[in-house]
Amino acid sequence: MRLFHNYHYIASMLLFCIGLYTVIVRRNIIKKLIGLNIMETSVFLFLISLGYLDGGIAPIGIGGADPSRMVNPLPQALILTGIVVAVSVTALALALVILLYRQYGTLDVDRLFRDEETGGEEGEEKGETA
Amino acid sequence: MISLVFIAALFALLLYVVANMPPMGDPDNPTNSSEVIERYLEKGGEETHADNVVTGIIINYRGYDTMGEVTVIFCALAAVLAVLGRERRGRIYAYVDRSRVPSSVIVRTMVALLVPFIILFSVYTILHGEISPGGGFQGGAIVGGSMIVFTTIFGLLESSQRIPQRLRFPLEGSAVITFFAVGALGLAGGGNFLTFAWPEIAGNLQPSLVVWLTVLVETGIGLGGAMVLISILFSMIREEEEIAVVP
Repeated sequence: MRLFHNYHYIASMLLFCIGLYTVIVRRNIIKKLIGLNIMETSVFLFLISLGYLDGGIAPIGIGGADPSRMVNPLPQALILTGIVVAVSVTALALALVILLYRQYGTLDVDRLFRDEETGGEEGEEKGETA
Repeated sequence: MISLVFIAALFALLLYVVANMPPMGDPDNPTNSSEVIERYLEKGGEETHADNVVTGIIINYRGYDTMGEVTVIFCALAAVLAVLGRERRGRIYAYVDRSRVPSSVIVRTMVALLVPFIILFSVYTILHGEISPGGGFQGGAIVGGSMIVFTTIFGLLESSQRIPQRLRFPLEGSAVITFFAVGALGLAGGGNFLTFAWPEIAGNLQPSLVVWLTVLVETGIGLGGAMVLISILFSMIREEEEIAVVP
């Protein structure tokens, strides 16, 4: 059955849903970021699987390797770019999270919004919640 | 609860799409049967002088893409430093007891023993990148990861003494600088920007020289990536109070 033959795709869809669920449901911003990274990983897995070839070999032409049996090198090269961009985005997001924690002393989204409504009085409790 | 329903519906939709996709690993898939891929696989070795086709694509065929990538990671560092601020030259700011995770002597000994070998492995990954899996970004990420482990165990003060600022600050831009310099070499050789390895355009370049240029670009990317990651780590882990002056 075709659905089970494409089990890489199913795994990546599952990872995507797990990541999206984490982003939506979790209240901790760090956990939201982890969910975002899981979503990114699922997209990488999906694109890499698109370039897979049954019984394929790595696209390295050493020792007279047969080019017609090599897997598709293009997704691999582009996913390398994707990974670097994901790392950059994560670094910037974590820097903003650090600033947020220094300012409000919490990473809970609900409490952050409440702080905003009450004029940030609870920013005094810095360092109380770990 | 409503989010769970939403996610389940999305998963069912995605499964429906997957069930209608072409089977994975089929050579006749639209993604695998394009002429571009065949050209890369068959001519990649002789046109880019890199046996690893992925490295050839990254450095040569899609060099503009990688140049943008290098710029992106440099911009990430600039943005993190703009948000968090950078330590002043010659100083670090940290509470010694806070930037270090309490750990047993076993952990400390193992980390101190293993970090040099991890860095050696990253050098192998970078220099061997054009004939085996690996390359500049991977090697730089390995160095960055090893320094994250080292800093977690030994603290910011210790690790900023190991990687002095006067080395780290100039090397942060080395990826961008190397890429632009080698790309401009293609212009000097009579071709277009970033075409240093195409024999029909820059036919006067010897193959061994092209290989060395590839290694040079990979080394620059690796060093720059590693230093960018370490600088991001240091600026994230640093606290406001100044405790030590590092030469």
